[in-house]
Amino acid sequence: MTHAGAGEDRTLPRSLAAHRTASIVAGLCGSIFLLFLVAPIARLVAGGGTSGVSALFTDAELRGALWLTAVTATLAMAAGALGGTPLAYLLARRSFRGKAVVAAVLDLPLLIPHPVAGIALLLILGRESAVGRVLLHAGIQVAGSPVGIVCAMVFVSAPLYISAAREAFARVDPRYESVARTLGDPAWRAFRRVTLPLSMRGLIAALVVMWARAVSEFGAIVILTYNPKVASVLTFDRFTGFGLTEALPVAAVLSILALIPLVALRALRPDHGAGMDV
Amino acid sequence: MIEVVGLDAQVGAFRLREVTFTVPRGQYGVVIGPAGSGKTTLLETIAGIVETQAGQVKLDGRDVTGEAPERRRLGIVYQHGYLFPHLSVAENVAYGAADAAFAAEIAERVGARPLYDRPVRALSGGERQVVALARAFAVRPSVLLLDEPFSALDPRSRTRLRRVVRDVHREMGTTVLQVTHDFTEAGLLGDVAVLLDQGRVLQSGPPGGVFREPASAYIAEFLGAENVFAGTVRALGDDPAALGAGPDAARGHRALEFRSGPLTIYTVGDAADGPTHAVIRAEEIVLSRDAAATSARNQFVGSIEEIAVLGALTRVTVDVGGASLVSALTTRSAEELALERGARVCASFKAMAVHLC
Repeated sequence: MTHAGAGEDRTLPRSLAAHRTASIVAGLCGSIFLLFLVAPIARLVAGGGTSGVSALFTDAELRGALWLTAVTATLAMAAGALGGTPLAYLLARRSFRGKAVVAAVLDLPLLIPHPVAGIALLLILGRESAVGRVLLHAGIQVAGSPVGIVCAMVFVSAPLYISAAREAFARVDPRYESVARTLGDPAWRAFRRVTLPLSMRGLIAALVVMWARAVSEFGAIVILTYNPKVASVLTFDRFTGFGLTEALPVAAVLSILALIPLVALRALRPDHGAGMDV
Repeated sequence: MIEVVGLDAQVGAFRLREVTFTVPRGQYGVVIGPAGSGKTTLLETIAGIVETQAGQVKLDGRDVTGEAPERRRLGIVYQHGYLFPHLSVAENVAYGAADAAFAAEIAERVGARPLYDRPVRALSGGERQVVALARAFAVRPSVLLLDEPFSALDPRSRTRLRRVVRDVHREMGTTVLQVTHDFTEAGLLGDVAVLLDQGRVLQSGPPGGVFREPASAYIAEFLGAENVFAGTVRALGDDPAALGAGPDAARGHRALEFRSGPLTIYTVGDAADGPTHAVIRAEEIVLSRDAAATSARNQFVGSIEEIAVLGALTRVTVDVGGASLVSALTTRSAEELALERGARVCASFKAMAVHLC
């Protein structure tokens, strides 16, 4: 017993020291990584923040690009909510043949390079395509118009919404719905009265993520609709046409505006008191 | 009335198979079974939440197989209540009620009314069960399915709520089917007991009959019968009445002798000669200090192996030549007999107390 006790006395401080060393190494690695993520944005905002904010008052093209970005991203978000919510619900609640394939297909736009996504959209919605011609005949121009921007935004950001919305629905125990149905609610009413309110936080957070992703999209948009320019395309345009100095204020403003969805997401995170215990 | 005929249903890898039983209109059924036997799945299949693969579910004579849950006029109360956390307690109770005044009245009766001002999240497990019961009763269901609805309540509240549920069920004429692990509860509440194991009905009928006359040794042991012996039975030439069975009880039966190790037990019945099991409920075994004090046909003298005081009841294990007989007697009786470990006692029981299965 004495021997074992002495052994424990020797190993305990050693394991504590090892734990402390591991913590220091992990902390150091984490700090370097965090610095790597934050430093470029901080440098960007420090270098162009002031001129960017003043450009909001003087640069009409920048204002126009920001407005176009906000409007198209909001429309894309609405389209994603309308089309994606039922799909997310089905994926969360139902078992059906080919479910895994549907889920994999939905993730595909997240995996392919975004200019490739733009080319794919151009092939199916461009003026030369069958769908594009039909739409043009109906007076809807996709490529080179805000409609194209919305399409590109939906294509690249809706999978994020569907994935997060699916998780939000999955977090709500289906027995809440079952109880509502035995209390007289048809499926749709049970969804509206019970599942939707209980998953609302998660759904709104999913929409915010989708909106933010749509705002930051560049690759697919630049292929499908270079003009009119959204903010990301304008940044690229200023950089390639006029150099870093001209691109800096636009880029800085975009970075500052990115804080809006970030703050919104923080606010939507369930806190200890009000979180949905579902 | 709940009529379930040849019901098959599947949830994941688990399957209900050919479940058949009936709970007559306005009666109280209890489903008993070990964990994972399919009790909740059975309730959910009757409710239409789990799809029926084969068989029929009839509620009040109407075939509802394939009908949506909202069309079945039933209520379900889960063990965890499943109160809607985004609604108040009052809104939960009134959720499906067509008559707000009745919902308020039922909330008052079951004890949910004092909880109206508290957020759902702040309710204890027992309080949630109370509110869930009020919510289910408030829609005046013709059939009520209860999945261990009293499990989170303290003993006093459980007794009170059991009584309230029984009263409301009688007044409203609701047919109730309740899942329980509590055999006392099953005996107290149930008009019909359904014993479920591995998705199949092992036995169903009045709880008294199921407990007294289990269909197999497995059922007897599951139902908590302490004295289950494997052995061999053979017919005796004796008149059953001579075994103390009485002429009415023994009508049409033969006198039998059952042997299991050191025990030779006399009983009556229609069992064929051969291997079988004998079940004697502990409360049927009487202990006395003096063998002459009893007229029971089966008497065994042994020494006390163990005494376990369980509140008002005491369980005494008596060693009879290597076999253990367990007797349940009131703690008061045990004290009067001055029982102690190692003491010699006589364990006796009537021939009719022996059930062969």
